[in-house]
Amino acid sequence: MTREEIIEIVNAAFAELEIPEEELTPEAQFFTDLGLDSLDMVDVVISLQRKFGVQLRGNEEIKKVRCLNDLYDFFVKIDAEKNK
Amino acid sequence: MNRNQRRVVITGIGVVSALGNTPDTLFANLLAGKSAVRMMADWPHPALAAPLAELPEAADIPRSMRRTMGNVALYCAAAGKAAAQHAGITEFPDGRTLCAAGSTMGSSLVFEETFNTLLLGKGMADVSPMNFFKCASHTAAYNMANVLGIDAMTYSPAAACASGLQAVGLAATLIAAGEADVAVSGGSEELSHMVSESFVLMDAHASVLAGEAVQEQPRPFDSARRGLVCGEGAAVFVLEEYEHAKGRGADILAEISGYATNRGRENVTQSDSGSVIKCFELLRGKCDIPPLEQGFINAHATGTLQGDRSEAEAVRRFFGGNIPVSSLKGNIGHTLGAAGSIELAVSVEMLRRNIILPTANLCSPAAECSGIDHVSAAREKKCSFFIKNSFAFGGINAVMMCRKI
Repeated sequence: MTREEIIEIVNAAFAELEIPEEELTPEAQFFTDLGLDSLDMVDVVISLQRKFGVQLRGNEEIKKVRCLNDLYDFFVKIDAEKNK
Repeated sequence: MNRNQRRVVITGIGVVSALGNTPDTLFANLLAGKSAVRMMADWPHPALAAPLAELPEAADIPRSMRRTMGNVALYCAAAGKAAAQHAGITEFPDGRTLCAAGSTMGSSLVFEETFNTLLLGKGMADVSPMNFFKCASHTAAYNMANVLGIDAMTYSPAAACASGLQAVGLAATLIAAGEADVAVSGGSEELSHMVSESFVLMDAHASVLAGEAVQEQPRPFDSARRGLVCGEGAAVFVLEEYEHAKGRGADILAEISGYATNRGRENVTQSDSGSVIKCFELLRGKCDIPPLEQGFINAHATGTLQGDRSEAEAVRRFFGGNIPVSSLKGNIGHTLGAAGSIELAVSVEMLRRNIILPTANLCSPAAECSGIDHVSAAREKKCSFFIKNSFAFGGINAVMMCRKI
């Protein structure tokens, strides 16, 4: 999976939260820029679990992501590990 | 609403129903004899039901609020907004406005979705945390309060099919006692296969026989009744202390002059006639019931064999045959937690218009339901009051009297 494909999938999960596409910039911080809260983030993670076919419950790394770029990097890494 | 308490009036009504999303539309469709009953062919076990024709408008409710709302909360919030608009209130009195809204349960569709996720072998990690907020017992109440900006007392009576009337009764009781000046109150319910099928399992659900039209069910009080049909919707009222309403020049739709609730111990699935009579006696102890020829009773009657018989017996023994009685469930089905409030809303319209709507599908009153004045065709009659009955699983009874002022 290319990074562009991963970005498309991740952004689609945020579009489900009715966030306008133009606000989905790599540096956009979830809480301060996108106006989300911790419950929204749990919903996003569940949506991403389904989209990427992975289980993220208890994953400590995903708790550290703060902006979209962090999330893109996270799934690029997850995808690379799956393909090893 | 005891005789020495503050008076409580209705100044706004909002409705979300299978036959229209305004009290006017709903009343017009009922007067035209329309039925919302249809066969739900896409359900795992197809059954009769009375679904909404269209979802209420929700685009102006922000996502941060909508995310915790299943249909049951959405219907209630939409009806609450309409009620506030009807009452001409844009901002509720700070700290003096209470919210009371009930439903049988939280979002039954989201319960279904959650069960299906778990039954498919997936764990709770695949369940959205929003599902908890959508399934919580008070989801209709707190979501409506959120949307309307109410931050004072918020209650959610959960008494199955009496929830809607209990919520309005509780709100009126609290205003009468001086705990609040304004209330937004009502009941809501959403339709799901899971809940409907529960009544099939109890052998209390109507079916359609070969050659019958689906609109011929349910048949409250009829000799050929076979059970209820589930519906959905919401109705919400703005209640005010009488002087508060007068002071702001509000259009007063009716006065809630009495409310009583109790329970019977005989059976968990239906109210026994003795306990219903006791509830009528409680009501009479709280308010003066005018001469019966001036009023009507809007019955709970769902179309079940035992429930209709018990209600008819209680009405016959307490009131006799001098007061017209009808049920609206032949048109819109049994809207469960919303039933008491939707039917209360229509009853207020009947009172204001001096037209008593009939019991749809009542062709041949059952012998065990006889001895009362069944309304089988719309009846024009100058009315000064009505009594609304609601009964529920657990033996819960609730009755309310409203009058013109």
